[in-house]
Amino acid sequence: MAELKETNKRLEEIYHKIKAEIPWEPVGHTPMPEISDLRNWDMKLLQTYKPWYAPFCDLCCFCTFGKCDLTEDRRGACGIDISTQQGRWILLFCLMGASAHASHAGHILEVLIERHGPEKKINLGTSVDLEAPNIRTVLGLKPETLGDLKIAIEYVYKEITHLLDSTAMGQEGSYLDYESKALHAGMLDHVAMEVADIAQIVGLNYPTSVADTPLVDLGWNSVDKTKPIICFIGHNPATSTVVVDYLRENNLYDQVEVCGVCCTALETTRYSDKAKVIGPYSRQLFYVRSGIADVIMTDEQCIRTDMPKEATKAGSALIATIDKVMYGLEDASEMPTEEIVKKMVEEKRHFAILDPKKAAEVAVKVAMAIAPQRRKEWLTEQEAQEQSKKCTLCGMCETACPNLFDIGRGVSDVAKGNFETIRELFNLCIGCGKCEEECPRNIPILKIMQVGASMETYKVRAGRGPIMDTEIRTVGAPITLGTIPGVVALVGCSAYPDIRDLAEIVDEFAKRKYIVVVSGCTSMAVGLWKDADGKTIYEKYPPVFDAGGVVNVGSCVANSHISGAAIKIANIFAALPLRANYEVMADYVLNRVGAVGIAWGVYSQKAAAIATGFNRLGVPVIFGPHSSKYRRLYLSRKEEAEWKVMDARKKQIVETEEPSPEHLAYVCETKEKAMVMIPKLCIRKNDTPQGRAIKLNHYISLYKKYMGGGLPEDLHLYVRRDPDIPLVYKKEVKAYLTQIGWKPKEPVGLPTLIGTYPTKVPVDSVIH
Amino acid sequence: MSQLAPLLPMHRVNVLTGTRTARMVEDPTEYAKQILKAQRPLLVLGPQLMRITLGGRLLLEYALDIAKARNIPTCATATVKSKMVELGVTPDSVYDIVEIIHALKDPEWKGVRKEGNHDLVLFFGFRTDLGNQGLSVLKHFAPHLKTMTLCKYYYPHADFSLPNIRKDEQWKAFLEGLIENLKKE
Repeated sequence: MAELKETNKRLEEIYHKIKAEIPWEPVGHTPMPEISDLRNWDMKLLQTYKPWYAPFCDLCCFCTFGKCDLTEDRRGACGIDISTQQGRWILLFCLMGASAHASHAGHILEVLIERHGPEKKINLGTSVDLEAPNIRTVLGLKPETLGDLKIAIEYVYKEITHLLDSTAMGQEGSYLDYESKALHAGMLDHVAMEVADIAQIVGLNYPTSVADTPLVDLGWNSVDKTKPIICFIGHNPATSTVVVDYLRENNLYDQVEVCGVCCTALETTRYSDKAKVIGPYSRQLFYVRSGIADVIMTDEQCIRTDMPKEATKAGSALIATIDKVMYGLEDASEMPTEEIVKKMVEEKRHFAILDPKKAAEVAVKVAMAIAPQRRKEWLTEQEAQEQSKKCTLCGMCETACPNLFDIGRGVSDVAKGNFETIRELFNLCIGCGKCEEECPRNIPILKIMQVGASMETYKVRAGRGPIMDTEIRTVGAPITLGTIPGVVALVGCSAYPDIRDLAEIVDEFAKRKYIVVVSGCTSMAVGLWKDADGKTIYEKYPPVFDAGGVVNVGSCVANSHISGAAIKIANIFAALPLRANYEVMADYVLNRVGAVGIAWGVYSQKAAAIATGFNRLGVPVIFGPHSSKYRRLYLSRKEEAEWKVMDARKKQIVETEEPSPEHLAYVCETKEKAMVMIPKLCIRKNDTPQGRAIKLNHYISLYKKYMGGGLPEDLHLYVRRDPDIPLVYKKEVKAYLTQIGWKPKEPVGLPTLIGTYPTKVPVDSVIH
Repeated sequence: MSQLAPLLPMHRVNVLTGTRTARMVEDPTEYAKQILKAQRPLLVLGPQLMRITLGGRLLLEYALDIAKARNIPTCATATVKSKMVELGVTPDSVYDIVEIIHALKDPEWKGVRKEGNHDLVLFFGFRTDLGNQGLSVLKHFAPHLKTMTLCKYYYPHADFSLPNIRKDEQWKAFLEGLIENLKKE
């Protein structure tokens, strides 16, 4: 009885927070879910998609009991085993990622509430009524003002604290529960990202309800180096947008160049299409070392932690603008502006300035003062040749390179006047600088590699924010029926060689009339490629969320619009209520929305959180090979696993024997193999025969293209009945099926996992 | 604990993996002996085999010679199958590296020839980071089998590994020696 009272009290509090009395939809079963509320859904997923753990090390060194050896079934002094330790690691990664986004969201929200007040209405334009699909689904709250977003972010903060607590010594003892917690953290990450981006769109007046956002300049040479240059690095636009305001207010915008590396650059282009994008994270150190930027302004996430050293070396001024990253610099937030400028110009000092207005004024004044005194030229081929002559081909650079590239050969070729190898290496390089650090002859390798950089100007489309409700109405049916073969979302960092891989993947799938969505550093990387007609991906394909479109949703936090689009399909198209109804939404996405994420070059913990959030929502993610270093994948074993679903119409559990989607978190070693996996991971049990035939057509044709002909070894698992077979391969496929003794299968009317595991959600909830 | 053992702290720790590190083998005869001892070996082929040449021959050709010498079943990962088809060889199985490792973890798995799970798995032609992570999975979760690598880098998570070899001629000699020894027995 006491327990029931406690539960009712908790629910009462939640109902109050989510304003349950506003009857826009009935409140579902899991408003503001806590750690255990969606645990059964997670366990159902983990039954099929088992964690694949690749420990870095045999030990646990988390507490002073250790180091503890966890090999051969040994347990740590606290009792932990190697699997549980890996689960703990992945939860920590997801928490780091989710807290980075949550903290970003909290910060920008605070700044914008201070500027506009908490009552500032959320209005995402005439084509976006369903403004916050993640927040509505997870919390059950329909945020109407900036102040309402605070409720969402405070919920995220609270859950993150509970989750982090579970990683302390002597807490959680099951890897499966750690995975459930990691999935929870991933889901929270999407809520946090959504808070951040809605706040930014509303508070900074970013584009919304429009597809055709401006094409902005991208690349090394897009910036006019004869002007003073301010370069932003990081993810949070709180200060970069104020710099633009300052330049506009003082009529200086034509005199000063504003550019950036990584997501702040993208954010700034949503605020001003005159801002330029240098490139993704992998170009950061190259650009800083070029010394072209007069002032570097850092905010948060994905910034080099040695930035003060690097800025000093390059002769650039540095301002740290957010308290999360202060580099040990003096906090000059209270110092008079003119005094800071004087110290930066005359004494070449760097400062932390946490007041965006002051930071903006200082940055502009310092840039204008020091630019005329600085030599800002790219290294010439002649200079590079001279500097390369010291190379003895000792091979130290190669062993330090995370990708084992033969950098020495590139450098020694430059010494001989051959620049081809270095050009190739520049495109492959992730820009970590470890080669240069190891060079016994102190050759400035990264500077030399500048001669390999393309001096062309490319284009990236400014991020457009949410997918419009109107677009969802158009594509909802073809996606769920399978006649649009899938949604391919290329997300995250691009620190994977070769940077051109990403553009080639986009090109292949846009050509095949998939819907392609990009975000974050990937959206920049795909712009750094032109076809034979000199067109970038953004000029080649329309910016619509429809077959053959390429949509840039925006920065990292805009990833929430991709998960949001999947939820919108369930809610807008299928008319399933989403309010506090996470399981129904995730179940719908898993079984009926043919979407796949490609996180090809990701390196950060944020990417682990984003991907894990997609996984809980039922979206599979393909990683590049180095992401095996995240230590955990979710893989099925297609022949052995159970592929049972409930046929919601017949209320019967059916063994489909169809591994769709086959994996939830998967690593591919090569782009070519990823090309084959993408169409397969877009297959869903709900596909109509026509849709399935289209999907299999792409799967077979890409298999033939990259696997040397023949038919996929698992093709029979995806053919249910004769009409599923693509016309163009009919004869060949039928002969193969006959040969292996394939038998037709009864299609499932309305596939769902609801009803196949313990849940409060009734099966009828999935019927629309 | 490898040859480094005398130099390491007493607390069963090494700098590479923690405690268990691959045995470094430079002698092809010893590698051949290990392979011959195995009841059901498996050769897993990675995509680097399609792009690296050694003495004018594609690395994949050396791999196929090894398989042929003792009728070792093959698993083609990534898009290796395409090159094998070109060379007129059909792989015994097609999985990606993470998938074959996932299956190998299960002692009850029937293996690629349905004769039972494998007891020795040879990896050849993978990116070093992915390869090493994959070997770590098997080291920790597949005590029923041993792993061996044929690439020119040291893989600490394997059971048997070559050392880091700087000269390709040395690597070529090793592979040729191995093929020779396998044919001989």
